[in-house]
Amino acid sequence: MTTATEITDTTVREATEWLFTEAELLDAGKYREWLDLVAEDLSYVVPLRVTREREAETDIVEGLTLMDDDWDSMEMRVLRLETEYAWAEDPPSRSRHFVTNIRVAAGEAEDEVAVKSNLLLYRTRGDVATFDILSGERHDVLRRVAGGYRLAKRVVVLDQTTVMTHNLALIM
Amino acid sequence: MSDAKGGHMLRDELRQTLEQGLRDVEADWTVPAAIINDPEMHDAERERVFGRSWVFLAHESEISERGDYVVRYISEDQFIVCRDEDGEVRGHLNSCRHRGMQVCRAEMGNTSHFRCPYHGWTYNNKGSLVGVPAGREAYGNKLDKSLWQLKPVPKLDTYKGLIFGCLDPEAQSLEDYLGDMKFYLDIVLDRSDAGLEVVGAPQRWVVDANWKLGADNFVGDAYHTMMTHRSMVELGLAPPDPKFALYGEHVHTENGHGLGIIGPPPGMPLPEFLGMPESIVEQLQRRLSPEQVEVFRPVTFIHGTVFPNLSIGNFLMSKDHVSPPTSFLTLRLWHPLGPDKMEIMSFFLIEKEAPDWYKEESYQAYVRTFGISGAFEQDDAENWRSITRVLGAQYAKKTMELNYQMGRGVYEPDPDWPGPGKAFPMDYAEANQRNFMEYWMQLMVTDPAPHSGNGKVSDDAAAETLARAEA
Ligand code: FES
Ligand SMILES: [Fe+2]
Repeated sequence: MTTATEITDTTVREATEWLFTEAELLDAGKYREWLDLVAEDLSYVVPLRVTREREAETDIVEGLTLMDDDWDSMEMRVLRLETEYAWAEDPPSRSRHFVTNIRVAAGEAEDEVAVKSNLLLYRTRGDVATFDILSGERHDVLRRVAGGYRLAKRVVVLDQTTVMTHNLALIM
Repeated sequence: MSDAKGGHMLRDELRQTLEQGLRDVEADWTVPAAIINDPEMHDAERERVFGRSWVFLAHESEISERGDYVVRYISEDQFIVCRDEDGEVRGHLNSCRHRGMQVCRAEMGNTSHFRCPYHGWTYNNKGSLVGVPAGREAYGNKLDKSLWQLKPVPKLDTYKGLIFGCLDPEAQSLEDYLGDMKFYLDIVLDRSDAGLEVVGAPQRWVVDANWKLGADNFVGDAYHTMMTHRSMVELGLAPPDPKFALYGEHVHTENGHGLGIIGPPPGMPLPEFLGMPESIVEQLQRRLSPEQVEVFRPVTFIHGTVFPNLSIGNFLMSKDHVSPPTSFLTLRLWHPLGPDKMEIMSFFLIEKEAPDWYKEESYQAYVRTFGISGAFEQDDAENWRSITRVLGAQYAKKTMELNYQMGRGVYEPDPDWPGPGKAFPMDYAEANQRNFMEYWMQLMVTDPAPHSGNGKVSDDAAAETLARAEA
């Protein structure tokens, strides 16, 4: 294994800025541009959780997830939104990514940093005066490339076991 | 409003809507919009539909070990579905006999006992009350524990791994209830020697839509794929013919069940038997009847609903726009939470002894196209929410009939179809949906018989049976 990156103030600032830029692109519906920030070996997973007794080792289910994407399937989602037939998001939801509690640590590889953040995702659709909220913790791996970072890995651990939005059509 | 038998009466207006609906669905092939999103309809439906039907609870593989349990629902009632210490499948009302507390508050797990957190009454996984704290001081040891077991599901049975429960102790047997649908269920459930397993647990999410829209869609709606799922055609995840779901058979049976069995568009080479691995194809040709094999051979999509709220999707679909298609199997529960709200439980199943490459590919195809994040399925929920919202309003409810006339005067039942049920040679049809809605309306207008429903007498009879079995 290669030696891990030393985490400096600059690294923390860069990772934080990266997350904020990402959130801005997603909330603006600029998925193409978002895709440019994603590494080609992307792994994007939303685990499935269940309510279990405290003594259970984990509440994360093995074998099934809520979402499990790679670069190809992410590109497929973006291409889909670009067709005239992506009704689930046309008209689009209005969303806001609130990203807080950012924690930056050394990644496993020399050119990677591990970034944890809390996410509150607000979503509203149509003219109905209601909204959905998703809350969770993101575990990201950002890889340093020329001119910035690429998202190589993301795990979004949602806080609900029965999810209160009608689909996960938004990128978290 | 209660009648003498303990069942609830229908208000006249409601009854008139339903009786008119029954006439219209026969004569005009329409369905009253008022049945979709209406609090009174929903109230009556809880008792008249969900109180009488066999409702899917779980798959046996979810509780494969002794002590395994999951908590599942029939209407609002929640049941612990577990495998007891003798290996038998049981269903217990998740409510302590003392004050009604939930004795189990996890969704799944393994335990030999359920201890009530309120005062500590403890039940074994057969449902028997085995422990009462301070029994000597508090009850003078006079509490007859054998009278206070957890309430059992009045009827519980399994079919090829599917566990169903029914609240009506007088209901017909599960075998009879499924009837001709079994021929088709077998093709999905019984095609391999080792059988199916649920992978992980179901995805669960809430949609502001009436549950019947999901059931109606899966029971027969091949037509919507052309528009709703057009994006998947454009990207090549579905066959590159917008009308791909037309080329199939549209079949329904008694008790509201139905399905569509779709083959490849003409001239399009797609693998036989959903492109399943050779080892499974070899097994299914041995296990299924020649007629079932004939039905299954050209299949690329199977969609269906077991009345009321269990749907099946067995689809050949690509996981993205650059990969070849792989088949996957999903079961789906449309669990009503109100007239305008349901919880969807989406299960992914696979043949236990399928090769690993297929398990992996099948999982990816499922999770990327179906379920909560599925690129194919997303657009369905959008439609059902919208319909539910609009049809909850007074003018829409009073004046709208929904058009169920597809295929009228276009085609006749298919005389050459090798399977049972009433079959039509094209899946762009609405005979299954009419059959579903007609059966639903029939249940709705049928008042509870004096001896049935959720009556106390029958309930005690079920408990007695349990007590006898344990003695
Ligand atoms: S409510 Fe369960 S012991 Fe009292
Ligand atoms: Fe659909």
